[in-house]
Parts: sequence; structure tokens; C-alpha cells
Amino acid sequence: MAAPDLLDPKTATHNSKPRLSFSAQPVLLKSPDDFEPRVTVMRWKTVLSVFLLVVLYLIVGATVFKELEQPHETSQKLAILVEKLEFLEQHPCVNSSDLENLVKQVVSALRAGVNPSGYSSNQSSLWDLSNSFFFAGTVITTIGFGNISPHTEGGRIFCIIYALLGIPLFGFLLAGVGDQLGTIFGKAIAKVEGMIDKWNVSQTKIRVISTVLFILFGCLLFVTLPAIIFKHIEGWSALESIYFVVITLTTIGFGDFVAGEGERRQHEENSGSELEYLDYYKPLVWFWILIGLAYFAAVLSMIGDWFRVISKKTKEEVGEFRAHAAEWTANVSAEFKETRRRLSVDIYDRFQRAASIKRKLSAEINLSPPVNQQMTPGKRARSVNLGDEREVYPYTFVRNGSLFLNGLIPDYADHLDITKTQTK
Amino acid sequence: MSTTFRSCFVPTGFILGYIAYLLLGALVFSAIERPVEETLKSDLSSLKAEFLNLSCVNATALETFLEKVLQANKYGVSVLENATLPTNWDLASALFFANTMVTTVGYGHSTPLSDEGKAFSIVYALIGVPFTMLVLTACVQRLMHPLTYGPISICQRRAGLQPRTASVVHFIVLLFLVVLGFFVVPALVFSTIEETWSFLDSFYFCFISLCTIGLGDFVPAEKPGQRLRALYKISVMVYLFVGLMVMFLVLRTFHKLADVHGWTAFFQLPSYEEEDEDREPIIEQEPDDESPEAEKASVKPLDPSSQVSYNSINR
Repeated sequence: MAAPDLLDPKTATHNSKPRLSFSAQPVLLKSPDDFEPRVTVMRWKTVLSVFLLVVLYLIVGATVFKELEQPHETSQKLAILVEKLEFLEQHPCVNSSDLENLVKQVVSALRAGVNPSGYSSNQSSLWDLSNSFFFAGTVITTIGFGNISPHTEGGRIFCIIYALLGIPLFGFLLAGVGDQLGTIFGKAIAKVEGMIDKWNVSQTKIRVISTVLFILFGCLLFVTLPAIIFKHIEGWSALESIYFVVITLTTIGFGDFVAGEGERRQHEENSGSELEYLDYYKPLVWFWILIGLAYFAAVLSMIGDWFRVISKKTKEEVGEFRAHAAEWTANVSAEFKETRRRLSVDIYDRFQRAASIKRKLSAEINLSPPVNQQMTPGKRARSVNLGDEREVYPYTFVRNGSLFLNGLIPDYADHLDITKTQTK
Repeated sequence: MSTTFRSCFVPTGFILGYIAYLLLGALVFSAIERPVEETLKSDLSSLKAEFLNLSCVNATALETFLEKVLQANKYGVSVLENATLPTNWDLASALFFANTMVTTVGYGHSTPLSDEGKAFSIVYALIGVPFTMLVLTACVQRLMHPLTYGPISICQRRAGLQPRTASVVHFIVLLFLVVLGFFVVPALVFSTIEETWSFLDSFYFCFISLCTIGLGDFVPAEKPGQRLRALYKISVMVYLFVGLMVMFLVLRTFHKLADVHGWTAFFQLPSYEEEDEDREPIIEQEPDDESPEAEKASVKPLDPSSQVSYNSINR
């Protein structure tokens, strides 16, 4: 008979549900002294060592950049200085071609990364150690401001190799810092949750509150506070400070605003002079970038999660719709199959009965005793009944040819019903 | 059959949404920035005229002039006379700018000048960067099947190699093809089109762009009088996006390789997880249930190889 599964509408839709499968990865051994519940969080010692490694890497990179770039820069500075002196010594009446030449020189000097304006001849180099450190930092964090960039061939080749090794290294560090940040935050949240628990607030509300707290607190600590500090020290407007913070922490890094490279704005009196920065300003900025990047990574991944949840929900709804459609079609086909089954059973029964009657009749015609002996009392009664009509029915059997059809002759069917009740 | 259709439909939908988002950003930037740029240009030309009118030029005036030139050049506005440098904010350039912003490359050759532009950039970046990462992740996950899982299983079946050696062989071949196709060949093309770039410069540009560092010392299609500038910019944009996708693919393949060899376990890093929609892991890789969602989001294993671009949404 037909498999019972197909007739059951429930099992038909069950095939479209996700299969459960075991993860195919080998069982990984945990280190014995890892008592933290999460295997994927790095220990703080590891993080510290990776941090020191990154700092060392940056210092090495800074030294190499300085060695490669500073000579080139010095020669460029000399060239532009000579240009300027020549220009000033010339007749004060300037014509446009001279002006164009000067401007071209200025532009090419800019491309070399040199600032041709400014009175003092011993300007700080763009490639001294702290600036090179900052540049190396912008390379491995992939921010890439671009206000400083290597111009020698050796510098560029080294930059490529440096980035190839440094970016994954920084990625490790960022993962570790993010883990530590999350641990600290998690402990704080657990404490807060312990306090809120007394108020019997639902779990989802707690989670929502903690998410909001995380965003607000992080924004305050890593965005607002640095923005205020930058506004005060660099002299930017509030919008520009926030703009700088966001562009830096998403690693876009345009370079139009760079902390530590600023000049006083032109509305001030001594335009063109560089700001006096404290010595530890730039390393502090870099440290802020590190932690801020970890925070931003968390925020952006949360936003990405929301996108993902939304897309999954739409997919689910589409999936639900499909499931409903599948269930409906499964129901309809199941009913159809059921009807067919009943029909076929019915036909099969009638066929069987017709066959048995044919056997009996043929047995009586041939007068074969073994067949009579096999007959049940009911059958014998029937054969006695049919014996009268013997001369009529054989004709119908033979004429139609198909025994199967004979069972469906209406008047014969009535007799069958009577006999059916008798045999049953 | 329906699952493959669905798995093709979702990344296509994402890509269309991504293109629409870029177009929106480009239009907005173009509308906001162009007037400001025009103003700056006219200011500079009037300053130049003033300078020429002076009979005697002194040092301070020169310094002021140079200062202005510096400022202008920083924003990509050139003051040279015969430079017919087109605007930085026509549709193709604005699209290019939006793309560099959203993929976090950020060249900086043209930046928003107005306050509204800056404010819009903030919002645009905060939404666009995770969205782009999501799109790239979805695409890379689909691409992993034909490009990584497929060849590795073929290697295992046909050549009869162990999983470890098969993955190593596949990774080396993939790396070679990627370097050839996405670094060497484009570098040749760029060095031919951009006359001032040598092969090393073009290679350097390709590398800096595809790692999303984006220093901005080399930017294609910035030469004055460039033919077919819009088409050039858009093709560079497509190259950057596809190249970024391929870099992600290489990183994920490497992560899988490291996982197969047990390096991720050695460094206690999050292991590679296959994102297959038809399978649900029986054992959830989550910490204790009491941890709030925010903590889960911040603690969620920041995939080291993908931390470069906030790929930690990849779960």
C-alpha cells in the first residue's frame, strides 16, 4: 500500500524545516588553567603581550620610515626655500607667469608633503620620530589619513610589506582589547542587573536597557569627551571635532582634519604657525584611537546585527509564507491521494470479489469438487443461489471479456452488496 | 532548487540596495558640496586678481597667498590657470567619494567642505559602513561555496589529498590568482592610463586601496583633461568593491585553513564557523545565558582577520 508518510500532511511540511547537524569541527582542547566560561576571550596577559608587540612593531616602523623619508624631505625643503628667496629678490612687480611657476612649485611641494608657508626655517619635520610613529599607526589601523605619505620608492615598498604584516597583527590586538572592554562592561552590567532584578523587570527590558547604556556610555567616553578635548586643543568647531572622531574611528580617515597636525585658523593673528603640543599628546591620541576602534567595532557590528535580524525576519516571513503554501499544497495532494486510495481499494475489492465469483462459477460449470469443498457455507449458499441464473450470467462474463468491469455492472453490484453483507 | 534561488536572491537584493545607497549618497553630496566648491574657486580667483594688481609684493602677502593655496589644495581645488580640472562633485566623482567613504578607504583627495556635508557624512558613514560590511559578508559567504568548499572537496575526491594539504594547496593557488588578477594586472592598467604613475606606484596604489588604508597620495582619474573621466571613475569603483570582496574571501579562506590546522585553537581565537542556512548548530557557541545582548555584541569574538573591517557581524 502507499507509504503512510505521504498521506500525512504534517510530515510533508516537516521536510522543509532545517535539518539539525553536528558541527563538523574537531573537538578542541581547552588549556587547563582557563577557568573563564567563554573559551573565545583572550586572557589579559596575552592582550598585554600583544600590545607590547604592536608598540615595538610601531617603533621599528617609525624608525625605518624616518630613515627612508627624511633625506628626501630635506632636499625638497631646500628646493622650495631657494625658490622663495629667488622670488623675493626679484623685482616686486610680478607678472602672471612667475606667479604660476611659484604656485606650481607650491603644489608639487605639497605633494611631497612639505608645508612651504611659515617663517621659521627650522620647522619640525614631518618625519621625525613621533610623526612617523603616528603614520605607522595610521597604516596598520587602516585609517590612512594621508597627510603624510611615503614618497621614496623604498618607503612605498616598505609600506606595503609593513601593512601586510601589521594589519593582521593589529587585528589580533583589537580583538583582545575588544574582549577586555566587553568583560569590563559585562561585569558592570551584571552589577546593575543585580540591582534591577529586585524590581522584577523582564529579561528583554534588561537587555534593551543595557544596550542603550552601552551605547550612551561609550559615546560619552569615546566620542563626546575626545571631541571636546580636540575642540579645545585643536581649535576646531564642535561639528568638526565630532566629524573627525567619527571619520577616524570608522577607519575612513580622510585626513582633512588630523589631531596633532593642526595649524591655527586664519582668522587668528599669527596665521600659519603650528600649534604647540605637549609631548604625550600624540601617543595619547593613538591610544584613544585603539580603544575607540574597539568600541566602534562593537557598535557597528551591533548595527550590522540589527540589519541582519531585519533581513532574517523578512526571510523568515517569506519562509513562513512558503511554508504555509507548502502545507496547503500538501494538504490538497494528501486529500487527493486519500481519495485515490479509497477508490483503488474499492476497485480492488470488487475485482477480488468478481474473481472469486468467476472461480466459483467456472468451478460449477466444470463440476470440479475441490473447488466446492473449499467454499465457505456462505459461498455455498451463494453458489446455490446462482445456480439458477447460471445460464444467463456466463454470457455476460464472456461478452464483456474483462472480469474487472463485470464487477461494476449495476445489477450485479446489488447482488454483490447482498453477498458482501452475508460474507462479512 | 528553491534554496539556491533564495540564496542567489538575497545577495542580489543586497547589491541592488548597496548601489541605491551609493547613488543616494552621491546625489546628496553633489547637491551639498558643489555650491561651496564654486564659492571657494571664485574666492581664489579674486585673490589671485588682487595679488596681480599689487605693484609691490611683500613677504606677508605672499605667505597669506600661499596659505590660501594650501587650504585650497587640501580640498582638491587647484588654482593653476590652465588647469581645467573639472569639479570634484559631479555625479561620478561624488559616487566615487561615497564609495570610498562607505568601504572605509577614505582617500581624502576631496572632502566635504560645508558643515552640512560634514554632518551628513557622519550619519552616512555610521549607517553605510556596517551596511557595506553586511553586503560584503553575504556575498563572500555565497562565493565561498563555489570558490573554496567546492575546489577543496574536488581536490580531496579527485586527487585523494588529506583535508589539510588540500586546503593549503587551494589557499596557495587562490593567493597566487588573486595577486595576479587584482594587483599585477590592475597595476599594469593603471600605469598605462595614468602617465605619471610607474608600475610600482600603481601596485602601491592597488595595495593601499584594497587594504582600505587609502592614503590618498595616488588617486586615479584626477589628472586634468582626463578622457572618459566618469567611466574611468566608475570602473575603478567597481574594481575596488570586487577587490575588497576578494580580500575578504582570501581572509576567510585563511581563517578556515588556520582552523583546519588547529592554529585558532592554539591562539584561543574564535574558530571558523560555516554559515549555512540549512543547518542549525546543536551546541550554541554562546556564553552563559544571563549575559545581556549588549555584552554579547561587544564581547562577540572579534574575528582577528576580519577586524580590519568590522566583519565581526559574521557569526
